[in-house]
Amino acid sequence: MLMIERVLGSRLEPAFHERIHRLEHSGGVDVVTVSTVDMPRRRLRLVSARGEDLAIALPRDQKLFDGAVLLLDEDRAIVVRAEVERWLSFQPRSIAEGVELGYHAGNLHWRIRFAGERLLVALEGPIEGYYARIDALPGVASIPRIVVTGEMAA
Amino acid sequence: MLERPQGQKSGRLASAARIGIGGPVGSGKTALIERLIPELQARDVDFAVVTNDLVTREDAERLRRSGLIDPERVSAVEAGACPHTVIREDPTLNMAAGDDLEVRFPGLELVIFESGGDNLASTFSLDLVDWWMFVIDVAGGDDIPRKKGPGVLKCDLLIVNKVDLAPHVGVDLPGMLEEAQRARGERPVVAINARSGEGVDTVADMICRAVLFRP
Ligand SMILES: Nc1nc2c(ncn2[C@@H]2O[C@H](COP(=O)(O)OP(=O)(O)OP(=O)(O)O)[C@@H](O)[C@H]2O)c(=O)[nH]1
Ligand SMILES: [Mg+2]
Repeated sequence: MLMIERVLGSRLEPAFHERIHRLEHSGGVDVVTVSTVDMPRRRLRLVSARGEDLAIALPRDQKLFDGAVLLLDEDRAIVVRAEVERWLSFQPRSIAEGVELGYHAGNLHWRIRFAGERLLVALEGPIEGYYARIDALPGVASIPRIVVTGEMAA
Repeated sequence: MLERPQGQKSGRLASAARIGIGGPVGSGKTALIERLIPELQARDVDFAVVTNDLVTREDAERLRRSGLIDPERVSAVEAGACPHTVIREDPTLNMAAGDDLEVRFPGLELVIFESGGDNLASTFSLDLVDWWMFVIDVAGGDDIPRKKGPGVLKCDLLIVNKVDLAPHVGVDLPGMLEEAQRARGERPVVAINARSGEGVDTVADMICRAVLFRP
């Protein structure tokens, strides 16, 4: 178990950028993926991509973020990667469809976002769970939908 | 074995871990703390408690008088009318109470926050705590997990308390636990009796593993 007691900085900072880039070439950069649910936590246990067991305990004035450098030495760096958020993007074809979708999305307490004429539902668990709910609602199941990731959902 | 990266001071952790205990009125949050105290003491955990009461300081007084813990290690926050606001929307009062305990007790490893009794929708802000549990009780009815309240779904550990009452209130306990587990997927559910202490050792072990990084 490796104890991490502070975030050193962002991988984009000039102080780290070059060194991490060099380590990347020598295969010395390890990544730890952090889910949306875990990102606000200051204390948690995670396993990095290379299998390092990390015990993270940050001071109260620090937080994890995408690109946070947790460890940097001569031959190794450990960097946080934010798990890409996935959204179910609905494209209603009529006002009636939009109204019905909005009604059910609210009822189901889904976390949603609007993007023009689309309604995006955050996938906070297995997608099958969402499909099970949707299939029980014919008026929603017939609305065209696709899964999009963080950047595309913007 | 605990290893530290080069250049980082060894010694005590960055700050004390903070955990929350939420749940409906009377579900057994304070009773659980009373049972956790000896379990944590037996595990050599240096800890303190912050209670949130509506307008009185009854829970804090109850713990101070219990003889189980140094009364100085129990702080009270008066939550006012909406107990969830001081653990979710604006937890600054509780954060200050935690900071104060850390200053007064150097070496403190854990602060436990008991939320005032609320409804099934109350959740803790992760700005306040690192990990939190939600206590429901058997007498509240076996349909509680089915209602899928945010407290039941989002907590890190769901506790079903008062298992001794199941036969008296006509609740099918295995069914209730199964339903709770189904609602939570892979996240843990533990059944306890805060009166007798049954199951509380498991809760103490889970706290130690999750936020104190004990094996
Ligand atoms: N039979 C039985 N009674 C219990 C158990 N746990 C708690 N109680 C009783 O339930 C009542 C409420 O317990 P508390 O610990 O005060 O509950 P609480 O959740 O702290 O209540 P508030 O802080 O007022 O929301 C008390 O009378 C306890 O003795 C249990 O496991 N079994
Ligand atoms: Mg209480």
